Amino acid sequence: MAADNGGKKVAAPALAPLARKAAVVLRSIWARGEGRFALVVLALWLAVSLISLVWTPQSLWSTDGYHVWQGPTAAHWLGTDGTGSDVLSWLMAGARTNLLIAVLAVALAGVLGMALTAAMVSRSATVSGVSAVLVDALISIPTVLIALILAVPMGASVAVIVIACGIGYGLNLARIARPQALLAANSGYVDSALANGASWFSVLVRHIMPNTMPTMTVQLSLSAGTAVLAESGLTYLGVGVPSGVPSWGHSLATSVKFIDVYPLTVLWPGLIVTVVVVALNVFGDVLRDAVDPVANPALREVA
Amino acid sequence: MRRFIIERLALFIGALAGISVVIFAALRILPGDVATVMAGLNSPPDKVARIRAQMGLDRPLVLQYGDWMGGLLRGDFGKSLLTGRSVTSTVAMRASITFPLIVMGLVVALAVGLSLGVAATLATRPAARSCFHFFGIVGGSIPALWGGLLLILLFSRGTGLIGLFPSQGFPQRGWHDTGAALLSLVLPALTVGIIDGASLMRYTRSALADLLSSGYLDQAMACGYTRRQAVLRVGLRLAMPQLVSVVGLMFAGMVTGVMVIENLFALPGIGYGLVTDLGNRDLIAVQSELFMLAAFFLAMGFVVDVLHRLLDPRLKSSLEGGR
Amino acid sequence: MAIEVSGLSVDIGGRPIVSDVAMGVADGERVGLVGSSGSGKSMIAKALLGLLPRQASASGSARLGGTEVIGADETTLAGLRGRYVGVVFQNPGSSLNPVLSVGRQIELPLKLHYDLDAGDRHERVMAMMRKVGLDASLAGRYPHELSGGQQQRVGIATALITSPRLIIADEPTTALDSITQRQIVDLLVSLVDGAGASMLFITHDFSVLARATSRCYVLDRGRIVDSGQTAGLLASPQVAQSRRLVEAARKLTLGGPDMETL
Repeated sequence: MAADNGGKKVAAPALAPLARKAAVVLRSIWARGEGRFALVVLALWLAVSLISLVWTPQSLWSTDGYHVWQGPTAAHWLGTDGTGSDVLSWLMAGARTNLLIAVLAVALAGVLGMALTAAMVSRSATVSGVSAVLVDALISIPTVLIALILAVPMGASVAVIVIACGIGYGLNLARIARPQALLAANSGYVDSALANGASWFSVLVRHIMPNTMPTMTVQLSLSAGTAVLAESGLTYLGVGVPSGVPSWGHSLATSVKFIDVYPLTVLWPGLIVTVVVVALNVFGDVLRDAVDPVANPALREVA
Repeated sequence: MRRFIIERLALFIGALAGISVVIFAALRILPGDVATVMAGLNSPPDKVARIRAQMGLDRPLVLQYGDWMGGLLRGDFGKSLLTGRSVTSTVAMRASITFPLIVMGLVVALAVGLSLGVAATLATRPAARSCFHFFGIVGGSIPALWGGLLLILLFSRGTGLIGLFPSQGFPQRGWHDTGAALLSLVLPALTVGIIDGASLMRYTRSALADLLSSGYLDQAMACGYTRRQAVLRVGLRLAMPQLVSVVGLMFAGMVTGVMVIENLFALPGIGYGLVTDLGNRDLIAVQSELFMLAAFFLAMGFVVDVLHRLLDPRLKSSLEGGR
Repeated sequence: MAIEVSGLSVDIGGRPIVSDVAMGVADGERVGLVGSSGSGKSMIAKALLGLLPRQASASGSARLGGTEVIGADETTLAGLRGRYVGVVFQNPGSSLNPVLSVGRQIELPLKLHYDLDAGDRHERVMAMMRKVGLDASLAGRYPHELSGGQQQRVGIATALITSPRLIIADEPTTALDSITQRQIVDLLVSLVDGAGASMLFITHDFSVLARATSRCYVLDRGRIVDSGQTAGLLASPQVAQSRRLVEAARKLTLGGPDMETL
């Protein structure tokens, strides 16, 4: 499958085919019912996050001591919380915090994962050995434990979630991408590129890392879902998003106190988190098929 | 094999030492210092100094670290400065709730994940396959907090639709009141177990599907097994090393859920205690508890790796150790 | 045991893989099924054994010793497999159970189909291992510790331990080097003949076919395009597809274009 398409186009060898490939992949995802669901949910998430920056049905800070723990009314579609604030507005504003956390966590995980993968296939036996040992040892430390350790000096903050998830998922990413990276690093075309005088870094960027990209993208999509789940857990435990900052975890934690008053209000924040995480997981699954040249014939035609 | 175990053991000890340094450092880079935080706001300097001396915080960092490690090696985790009780006994009491909860959750997860994974592999009707697919994806996407709330709404005594199980707290007399203790862990264990069971089911199904398209199950069926027997007797056995790794990692992921669930159900376990201690800034207790948990998970990682080797003769006999 | 196939078609996800195949193997006869890769020959074997993947659907008729196997229930199929029908697979390295020792692997069909005590089973396994040329000391080894040729001997021993009446061999030599290929084919033929069983031998390689079978069918894109005596077909192939397969075999094993003039 090592198609040689670098022969004719000398300038900008990587970008144009990459964009075309991405278009094909997106179209293949849209073509499946599940994929369409995932794309719609993710687009809605993005849209609501952007809208909430300029408009929410009620101000987040308009408290109303006379109407606390209310059921749905015309003014408050999903009811009010313990300070009389509008639940729907807080959920909408929460969307942007969760989006930010997911994006940052995934970005950090991606960078860390790639760096560790690169280190693990390094030509230096010391670097590759030490990084492999590091990944093996740290992989069994739960994300929540990393978050708790970080929270001791840092207190509750978005950064705790992002760093803890970034480290946890980055390690996982490196572990999963390692076999493919090793396979590519030991392949004939890497040997011949090196023999032709290419530097190890350029071989890494051009030949080894691209081979791990399908796995990495799929895994990162799944990690985004886990990051949304982690936010709700960590915020409830008091080491995540600080109080006063809107997030789905915050709404979920608040709704716990609702349970005796208006049980159905508990449904909304949990349902939103579940639907978004389902969408991210489904997206990952469909993406796995869409980026696999064996399962997706349309992709073969581009390459 | 022996060499592999020794190497892996060395790695375990090294990682443990590394983690201890990280935890120790995290507590020392606090804004202000531990003593100021513990003494409380606006407390007179001599009180801060007394606490500092009492905690040994006026001594060099290396010595403090040595004291802590030496204590840990003797099983002495220090004294809580808030309650004055030994952290060892507090942690032991809390562990007696958390570990049964984790084990029960794991049993539920294995029962749900393995049986549904096999059923999904063997299902032939498209409707049944869609159902399994739906459960696998949605079940694993539910936040533990919300899953717990839903179960409380459905099954708890008092608020639930069908009042079957208690939803708050642990019996006063602890495990002496065995029946009540077990009952109070049912809903928490179900919450954790079902969510992780759904993920395990997806792994089981995909591992078995890979095996079904490999030659191993064809050969087993050619010897006279039916498809179901081949999946159950050969497929599950061959998927075992892979599933052990997954369960090992799942175990680490489970602890987030367990901590949330302990707080939701007001179970005074390690997760609940850790969050309380963190809130109270009882940092000596936090330091030892974090280390205990890290040690536990590193040990699990070690066990899982060795088990993985033992289950696969192809790996067991490769003497060079693979890496 | 005889095979009678008529009107057999196999679809995978609506795509036809095998179309309207009719063929037969008589009692005690060794018959070949030859075709290039992707021609659907392995699917025919899987259909006969009830091992088709779930996405596949089969129609038509296939009888093994009078028992209809298309649409048969699992119990019937499992009762045939390993008892009356033995199977040798293409790649023993990826089909022999990696966590089963050689002895336990060979013993498995006996254990599943016959009510013998452990001592009896052990005796038979040892006898079978001698027959296929495996040293008794290998019984405790695992497949990955054996050479490719030894692995395939284990596969053959497993297929023949219950003295089945029919052997289906699906490319049994493809994964082996040419010298080992010849040894394995000769072993298989002598054991099948010795037991008086019949054999369906599936391959893409005409040169192997000549050693193993007297008669053969040529499969191309899921259809039978040619059939006849193996020797005759090999000497003067009439149909284009047969000619291509024969030429490929000559180039590969008989060494060179000079033979094309034949």
